[in-house]
Amino acid sequence: MNRAFFAALESIYPAERLLTRDVELLPYESDALTAFSAKPGAVVLPVNEAEVIDTVRLCHERAVPFVARGSGTSLSGGSLPIPDGLTIGLNRLNRIKKLDPEQRIAVVEPGVINLAITEAAQPYGLYYAPDPSSQSICTIGGNIAFNSGGAHCLKYGMTSNHVLGMKVVLADGAVTEFGGESIEGVGIGPDLIGLFVGSEGLFGIALEITVRLMPQPEMYRTVLAAYDDLGRAGDAVSMVVASGLLPGAMEIMDRLAIKAAEASVQAGYPDAEALLIVELEGEAPQVKAEFDQLRGIIDQSGAFETRVANDEEERTRIWKGRKGAFSAVGRLSPDYIVQDGVVPRSRLGEALVEISALKAKHQLDVANVFHAGDGNLHPLILYDGREDGALEKAEALAGEILALCIHLGGSITGEHGIGMEKRDYLPAMFSEEEIDIMQALRLAIDPKEIANRGKMFPGGEAPALAQHGVHPLEAAGVISRE
Amino acid sequence: MTVCTPATVDDLQALVRDSERIHAIGKGSKTALHCPANGAVAADLSTLSGIIEYQPSEYTVTVRAGTPIRELAAALREQGQYLPCDPLLPHAATIGGTVAGNLSGSRRYRYGGLRDFILGAEVVDGLGRAFRVGGKVVKNAAGFDLSKFLVGSLGAYAIMTELTFKVFPDVPRFRSLGFDFEQLEDALAAIYFINQNIFELDALDLVPHEDRWRLLTRLAGFDETLPQRVERFSAAMTRHISPFSIAELDDSAALWDPLAKLTGAYLVKVALAPKQVPDFDRRITAAQRRYGVGGNLVWLATEDIRQISDALNASGLTGLCLRGAIDSPVIGAPLENVLAARVKQVLDPHGKLV
Repeated sequence: MNRAFFAALESIYPAERLLTRDVELLPYESDALTAFSAKPGAVVLPVNEAEVIDTVRLCHERAVPFVARGSGTSLSGGSLPIPDGLTIGLNRLNRIKKLDPEQRIAVVEPGVINLAITEAAQPYGLYYAPDPSSQSICTIGGNIAFNSGGAHCLKYGMTSNHVLGMKVVLADGAVTEFGGESIEGVGIGPDLIGLFVGSEGLFGIALEITVRLMPQPEMYRTVLAAYDDLGRAGDAVSMVVASGLLPGAMEIMDRLAIKAAEASVQAGYPDAEALLIVELEGEAPQVKAEFDQLRGIIDQSGAFETRVANDEEERTRIWKGRKGAFSAVGRLSPDYIVQDGVVPRSRLGEALVEISALKAKHQLDVANVFHAGDGNLHPLILYDGREDGALEKAEALAGEILALCIHLGGSITGEHGIGMEKRDYLPAMFSEEEIDIMQALRLAIDPKEIANRGKMFPGGEAPALAQHGVHPLEAAGVISRE
Repeated sequence: MTVCTPATVDDLQALVRDSERIHAIGKGSKTALHCPANGAVAADLSTLSGIIEYQPSEYTVTVRAGTPIRELAAALREQGQYLPCDPLLPHAATIGGTVAGNLSGSRRYRYGGLRDFILGAEVVDGLGRAFRVGGKVVKNAAGFDLSKFLVGSLGAYAIMTELTFKVFPDVPRFRSLGFDFEQLEDALAAIYFINQNIFELDALDLVPHEDRWRLLTRLAGFDETLPQRVERFSAAMTRHISPFSIAELDDSAALWDPLAKLTGAYLVKVALAPKQVPDFDRRITAAQRRYGVGGNLVWLATEDIRQISDALNASGLTGLCLRGAIDSPVIGAPLENVLAARVKQVLDPHGKLV
């Protein structure tokens, strides 16, 4: 980043929205993948879409790499700065430009907080469905980039399934729109929304997003079942699926995750090897009938204790521990890595047994929290970064878990994305030719590879997770780990 | 038009490499989509057919693109499951053609359309490369999601050979109610009321009926709960919307086949927002029409395709002609988009796929 580039930034941004001093850059040096940090050359804070477009065009012209960033909650290092690149902080583009309850849509800017949409829609009996655990701080722009999911994806899908229209600036500065207010989205012609959502910031920046809202269910019925064996909780999930019920969410936590949740938010969970949360939602008469059926299944599944949420307060209490599980693990261990692999649901039990064996082999603690309904595992690998070689050991275990997910016919990521963290594993999932085609696509849209350079694809210039020993950039003091 | 019938993906790859222009077809159910430019070879994919992998407990199914919808639907039905995107032509079409045209039926209202249920695909692109996009599990965020991009792509970027979908358990029983309104605006107000309410309809279509408008509604669920739900829904509609009349309708396949009464020579799909309906409808009064999915799309049949394309141009909308003799199936506002062009440049740089 040279003086001429800075001067050009100064012509777009007043000094208070162009951050260059070390102390100002510090908060932007890492995201929720805290094992890494990198210092950006500068951070800009645009307040409107014209500034974003001008900035992207400037970056393209001068071949300066940029990262678009919302609240920095990416668990895969997706918003990790590029050393000496530009970070474009989008939090100030936070207007809900339109809320049309009749058509059940909202038009928002990328810096709008996920939960803010639901809050705005609530008076009309509507809500925005995708609910990542970070929903009270994460932004829609980041949700778009990583196709974020959440506990309630089984029935209504991930972010991509809730976007109807977009205006975007591509990495080379071209501005384009697709989709609109119809629930059909693009409707006719290729589904460009589906392509853009989940592209991890490599195609460009979403400037305006039309999302669909859903009617709040009339009734929730949430049951918490405690098991003295993790496999039994997994079997219970299979039984629910086989019964033909379609719950809104099915979540499992293991002993260590339960312990963490207890220590952190005092959820009042039973003392168990595994907890299963199943939630039904919909019209009251239908939910009541389904719940009778569900109770029968849970009773037969060998649960030693079941609790039913009879009102919103009890429901919130059941979810509180689950939603806080990630941050709660921080109380048990100074550092942890969150994995996000997917396995076919029927192989969940097998995966858990294997993870257990790997845990013993590496002598590390692993807390398991997962979206059991769609086979999405979230093993949290605990380590102490101050111990020599601890991170490397944790990473080795993480790598084996990803290999296991692929071996069982799944995916290395269900909802966190590849980002920085898993880019070296992309070749384990896709062939060389498939990666070449993705790379060609990226180059067709971003010939200078400036948009979120160093993410998703293996190799590249940006700091990588070192699988063995210290990364050269780390040795050179370019990146650091907490 | 020369027709070739590749028996394997290898054959298809060779055919693409050896042809100057190539046009994929399935069973030919959407006649307007089969008028490729001169000199194109038609690749008939109907032999690339059959279910490859179906695991009811995973809610996933993988099929060859030439598989007839009816075969897939029957296999799912046997296990009490269905494709919630509700492919439009269950008796005539292949799954590949349905995805290429993005043709979901009325039940798409409940859980979403084809784009919401496609998980992955195997394709052959314009360079003859065979590769996989997306995944085979219900949740996957690895790599660019080119599988969704295929939905609506009309075979112009890559030819699908295999597709993986998410499926859901189906519900055992249905009840259908019709609410009649004197004015289109009143029927749309009823849709807006339903949109903000607790009633989880399985389908919601709107049709001109005699000299009124009929809102077709369908509830799905258990035998023991449906009477109560129908009662509540109908009472709420009477109280808040006051329709001209309410009638229980025979819940038949014909009632929920959006095309059943659209007999005109040309058949067109248009995606639009409910609030665009009144203006657009005034321009197409001569056409047979059915607004689907709560007024979010419309199926039109007509003898006068010019009136439709004029109406589309005036409203800034795009239509896809599925039936009838026409030069290009895309009518109205053009589809050109810079992002789509970049994908074309990578997957089909020589413009072979038409």
